Amino acid sequence: MLATTFKWFTGIWLGLVAVAMFLWVPAHEGLGNVGRIVIMHVPTGWLTSVAFLFSAIYSWRYLRHGRARDDALALAAAELGLIFSVLATVTGAIFAKVVWGTYWNWDPRETAIAALMLIYAAYFALRTSIEDRQRQRYLGSIYALLAFVAVPFLIFVIPRVTDDTLHPNCAILNTPNCQGIELTENGRIIGTVEDFKVELLGIEQQADLTVATVSILSNGTNYTLKPSFNRASNKPETIERLPETLRDVQIKRLVGEPGNQTVEIAIANTGNIGLLTEQRTLLTFFASLFGFTLLFFWLWWLRADVLDINEQLVQQGITI
Amino acid sequence: MAKPAFWQAAWAVAYKDLQIELRTRYALNAMALFAVTTAVMVSFRLGPLGLSRDPRSAATLAVLLWIAIFFAAMNGLSRTFVREEEAHTATLLRLNVPALAVYLGKLVVNLLILALLETLVTLLFIGLLNVTIAKVGLFLATLSLGGLALAGATTILATLVAKADGKGSLFTILAFPLVLPLLIIAVETTELALSGGTWASAGSGLQLLAAYTIAEHVAALWLFERVWEA
Repeated sequence: MLATTFKWFTGIWLGLVAVAMFLWVPAHEGLGNVGRIVIMHVPTGWLTSVAFLFSAIYSWRYLRHGRARDDALALAAAELGLIFSVLATVTGAIFAKVVWGTYWNWDPRETAIAALMLIYAAYFALRTSIEDRQRQRYLGSIYALLAFVAVPFLIFVIPRVTDDTLHPNCAILNTPNCQGIELTENGRIIGTVEDFKVELLGIEQQADLTVATVSILSNGTNYTLKPSFNRASNKPETIERLPETLRDVQIKRLVGEPGNQTVEIAIANTGNIGLLTEQRTLLTFFASLFGFTLLFFWLWWLRADVLDINEQLVQQGITI
Repeated sequence: MAKPAFWQAAWAVAYKDLQIELRTRYALNAMALFAVTTAVMVSFRLGPLGLSRDPRSAATLAVLLWIAIFFAAMNGLSRTFVREEEAHTATLLRLNVPALAVYLGKLVVNLLILALLETLVTLLFIGLLNVTIAKVGLFLATLSLGGLALAGATTILATLVAKADGKGSLFTILAFPLVLPLLIIAVETTELALSGGTWASAGSGLQLLAAYTIAEHVAALWLFERVWEA
């Protein structure tokens, strides 16, 4: 009875979240309709890591106590982790295609989830290659723990692969790099300010003015703007409005000699800053996080029970 | 644990495995051939000078070097454990030698094999691809630490694979996610060594590599007995 109530509650809750995600949540100011994907994408990504943690914890418990139930929980968590990682990757790839133009670009978080998926895949490959069930559990648990040791290093290593992320961090939290970005003529010419992709196309000198040509991707459309900076007064001169938003694009700072100048492009916030500072979005986001967590635990215990029953049947000589 | 008998047992395991390896040269041949194939293939198409003219050659060569080392190692490193299972000598070893001594013995053998492999790959790359190593000390430090880390992560996996009926391709699948951090840093510091980066610029990479090596060895020492007795 309790289980049935729980099941129905989770189902209806997630259904309401899905409806709210499209009908109740307003479109994000910078990202547009595609910003809604955060409601599904972040919770699934989060649960991928949670599943991995649970899988390692129960593997360790299995090694300590040797109870088949612990291994069933570890295996079920790993299976769910794989499903959620696929969901997070697919929703992320859709977002990436719309906003950044590619499905995949080795962004730090993409690298991390790819590594987790590889670990899960290896874990299942190991388990299916062993016929003896006892040994399958034993070696599976050991591999889960070995992988668990390697993962923290990956987290330290990943930022070394690329120091800039295109992930829309400002959609979630307003951190300092949401304010502006430094782009250099012959160096780094592409980056993100908030959730906008900014590309420096060129810098020209006109008397006291330095005019930067920047291309800004907003709402799936590229806009070319020409903000300028007055070198005599050392202040921004022309401030450009990003079409269809309440954002003002300006050169906040200028460093270096012509030919090798660095401009700091800022996109001033006149409206909402982050995606989740918008109240309805924030509420739906937490509802979604809660719903997916319920779904995770329900599926986890259900799957572990199925594995348990399967084990009992095998022990009685029945195979299904 | 530090009883002389223990170290003698560890040494005996290593000595025995080295003797068998030198007699059959199974692992060494497989690894050497893989390394030669990789280096020859790259050199054949790009020419001995082709890559060194490329401005990004340090990065490309570092990647190729570690591809050769990693996949060649995957060909041979599981051999010592698989052989024990195939020849049904594992039980005998389990009964007579403490698990940790077996692990240390096999680790020493794998380290030696890896050192040979890395030397061979480096010589092949210098000879066939005209690699010039700007910072020899840094290069050697990267190779040694990388080899230590690779041996730490893979020796215990080799035991696991041997228990899983020694399926060869499984070893690579299991090892890849575990050694991914190591490969990323090793490629980075190798690139620095080839292009003349300073010790200071490679410092944090080497530190991470050392920390990873220690963590993998500790985890392996902790879990080995359980795998071995499984």
